[in-house]
Amino acid sequence: MRPATRRTVAVLFAVAAACVAGGAEAQVRAKADLRCEQASEVLLYDCTVGLVDSRTNEPLTGLAVTIGADMPSMAGAHSVRPVVAAEGPAKGTYRFRLALEMHGDWALLINLSGATRDRVVKVLRFEDGRVGEAPPPRR
Amino acid sequence: MDDYTIGVLSNIGVVSFVALSAYLLLLTGEISFGQQAFFAIGAYAAGIATALWGWPLALALAWGALSGGGAAVLVGIPTLRLHGLYFSIATLAFAEMVRILFELFRYQVEIDGELTGPSGAEGFRNIRYIFDHNIDAVQFLLLIYALLAAALLGFVLLERSRTGVAFRMIGEDATLAGLQGISVARHKVLAAGIAGALAGVGGGLYAHLTTYVEPRIFDVMLGVHSLAYGLIGGLGTAFGPLLGVLIDIGLLESIRALAGYRMIIFGGIVALLLIVRPRGLLDERTMHGIGNLWRRTLLRLRRPGPGPGPGPGPGPGP
Amino acid sequence: MFEISDIVAAYGQIEALKGVSLKVESGKITCLLGPNGAGKTTLMMTIAGILQPRRGSIRLEGTELTGLTPARIVSRGVALVPENRLVFPEMSVRENLLAGAYQRRDRAGIDADIERMYARFPRLKERREQMAGTLSGGEQQMLAVARALMSRPRLLLMDEPSLGLAPLIVAEIFDIIAELNRDGTTIFLVEQNAHMALKVAHQFFLMEQGRITFSGTPGQLAEDEVIQRAYLGTRRAAG
Repeated sequence: MRPATRRTVAVLFAVAAACVAGGAEAQVRAKADLRCEQASEVLLYDCTVGLVDSRTNEPLTGLAVTIGADMPSMAGAHSVRPVVAAEGPAKGTYRFRLALEMHGDWALLINLSGATRDRVVKVLRFEDGRVGEAPPPRR
Repeated sequence: MDDYTIGVLSNIGVVSFVALSAYLLLLTGEISFGQQAFFAIGAYAAGIATALWGWPLALALAWGALSGGGAAVLVGIPTLRLHGLYFSIATLAFAEMVRILFELFRYQVEIDGELTGPSGAEGFRNIRYIFDHNIDAVQFLLLIYALLAAALLGFVLLERSRTGVAFRMIGEDATLAGLQGISVARHKVLAAGIAGALAGVGGGLYAHLTTYVEPRIFDVMLGVHSLAYGLIGGLGTAFGPLLGVLIDIGLLESIRALAGYRMIIFGGIVALLLIVRPRGLLDERTMHGIGNLWRRTLLRLRRPGPGPGPGPGPGPGP
Repeated sequence: MFEISDIVAAYGQIEALKGVSLKVESGKITCLLGPNGAGKTTLMMTIAGILQPRRGSIRLEGTELTGLTPARIVSRGVALVPENRLVFPEMSVRENLLAGAYQRRDRAGIDADIERMYARFPRLKERREQMAGTLSGGEQQMLAVARALMSRPRLLLMDEPSLGLAPLIVAEIFDIIAELNRDGTTIFLVEQNAHMALKVAHQFFLMEQGRITFSGTPGQLAEDEVIQRAYLGTRRAAG
């Protein structure tokens, strides 16, 4: 191996080791209940997400919640700028407004940070005036 | 850096692996529409390894690479006998077959009281490694780019090696390459294997980046784009496909004013470049010109005086 | 001695070579004449291992070549300058020369041979860092010959080296062929330009519809009336 190769391999192992050394203590896992409905304009949706601890069903409050959206049929592209959700009146609920690029199936990435770090992914079908569960694609 | 920038940069990094994968096959003269299949295999393999088997990430990514590379060799042995268009169609058919198989693939295990694992068309959620191990988005971004840098270094070394020269010769004219004493079939399968492994690593990173995958992600759109990245960016260097990714995701996707028109502009760029610059922006001639300029500058710096001498040049290796 | 006996090769149902036998003597220039479609290029591709014959044997100094891969045949000392597909266009002149030495590992010997090629073909030296695809037809032909020589072949096969070149360049190429032969290279040449071939070759074969129909010395060739009419032309030379 040439010196440059060796150095790179060393750096890689260091990075890998750092990743592994993160430690795996039991984290809180979040469960999300997501509802969206069309707002005043087309492609604009108001959503509410309720977050609970998946084991205890306790509502998760006081978290910073951001939501990203991705179209599964075009990975890595058509992603929407993440929006920040505001904590709602009910305990553990967060509200946000989503501006999508087009109708269709979107995977919403609900990112939690603060006391709990987690991500919950929900796939919904956004249509004109209607939001529903995304049925699995036809074969 | 805000979350959006980190997200876009992560996507660019991950997609670059599939672009490099398609580029390596382009180098050997093969047009594959199916590299997304090995991306998918890598994503599922690495995701299963961490989420279901509790493997460390490094091992899972290696496993993803091995799965992608192994599958590519197995597919490559029969399909690389086909020529040109027939090979392209075979890769497309194979990739769609893999996608449909993942729609049927169920393998779930109860983890923390929840069924986790691939569940057919609904996908594979909760690939939670980065959350369970407190890896934040910036750290994961660094991991992606460290691996990408390693892949690029590999390409630089490859292009100087006998094998790399053989790949290029086969890509230009497989029959003529055979007449120089290169075993064409063996090199093509090797290229397919490396390309599959690269896509596999990318898939493994993607699964852990988004924490979920589903078969729809790996449809032919991804394959066509990966192929186009090399054709736009150029076939003269491994930085060509990266330039292609940067133009597409970095520029077209991120400029909001272009939102919705991205595919139209992208298609236009591909069509235009295929006409005016069939081997991409950074094509062989450009890279060769840059190489010559660089050597001449080095020479002038080393011993001041007129006249360019013969450069060392990349030989067929030791 | 290079010997081909009873080679039969076919594309599907169509037999292109119907039992071809001929001998190429070491140190000589042997020329295979014949009209388009006679099977000359098929024979060259079969010798090089790109096509597998149905039957027959090809031996170089007693070693059987049929059934070997093209790579193995190169390592046995056979180099082919193919028709039309001459160079790797997106590689420099120098890289093309290195490509010809792909199977060799002696770095110093390769470098020395490259310098020898530059001395023999000064125009290649001038253009060594240029992309081969930008060379003229004659220069590409010279590069193809030089690249073939880089493998240090015992037998050099050339498929229509004069194809598509201007008369002056053709004369130059044939000078080079004669010169290579004086230096000891055995050459087996396919040509349609019988006039030029007559000036350099020691032995002739004529191939028509997949069969050898004549063999002889340049003198015998020039005396044969049928060949006179068909290949040397009563009015002007056929191309």
